[in-house]
Amino acid sequence: MKRSLEDGLRALREATELAKSIRIELTDDYLELIALVEALPQNQSGADKSGRWRGSRAYWSFIASGRIVEPRS
Amino acid sequence: MSHPLAPLGRTLAARAVRYVVIGVSGANLYGPSGQAVFTTDDFDLFLPADPDNLVSAWAACEDAGLELWSTSDPLDRPRDRWLAERVVERRALTRVTGPDDLFADLTLVMKGYDFETIWAERREFVIEGTAIPVARLLHIVTSKHAVGRDKDRLFLATHRDALEQLLRKQDDL
Repeated sequence: MKRSLEDGLRALREATELAKSIRIELTDDYLELIALVEALPQNQSGADKSGRWRGSRAYWSFIASGRIVEPRS
Repeated sequence: MSHPLAPLGRTLAARAVRYVVIGVSGANLYGPSGQAVFTTDDFDLFLPADPDNLVSAWAACEDAGLELWSTSDPLDRPRDRWLAERVVERRALTRVTGPDDLFADLTLVMKGYDFETIWAERREFVIEGTAIPVARLLHIVTSKHAVGRDKDRLFLATHRDALEQLLRKQDDL
């Protein structure tokens, strides 16, 4: 358990360092991608999005069902 | 499983509260059902700097059986216009917690935008029969770019790739 916590903290530190080095520019092609996604039929007003949360809840349920095991030697 | 935002969306609509879902939870709503979404544990609701609207929002939260917080303390009572004026002056955030793992922030600030611009171009998606106002994806992304916190940069770094995958899947249909 202790090792998992330390691993987790190290991963968080690494992610934070990575984030500091990332520079994302909103280029014309990125903005065009956004426009294309916004224009999809399922992203117009009136679209039913009730299913969106089920996906993420299923994801979190899957993660929560995990257990910590010792690495195989 | 019920969407945690649905009960609050219903009471907000019943009290004619003006708000727009922004942030990662708003961006997630532009993805197709079943696709991996960006993980977030809260909903960001952007409200105008309008004390009366804020009082109505607080009441709607209470109607839905939710708890209201100011930083780590319960929001003061009475939750009236006087208190709302102080909160609006400070552009302070109200945190909302409730059942079904609901965490929501009522924010009066969205970096780079005023409320009326976001409101005028909002989409209204339907969640369990209730229309939920959501900011344009363009506004969510450009605001995150303007804020530029570590978590925003991580989001932007993966978001573009997610959009490309979404459009590829769309082409395959």
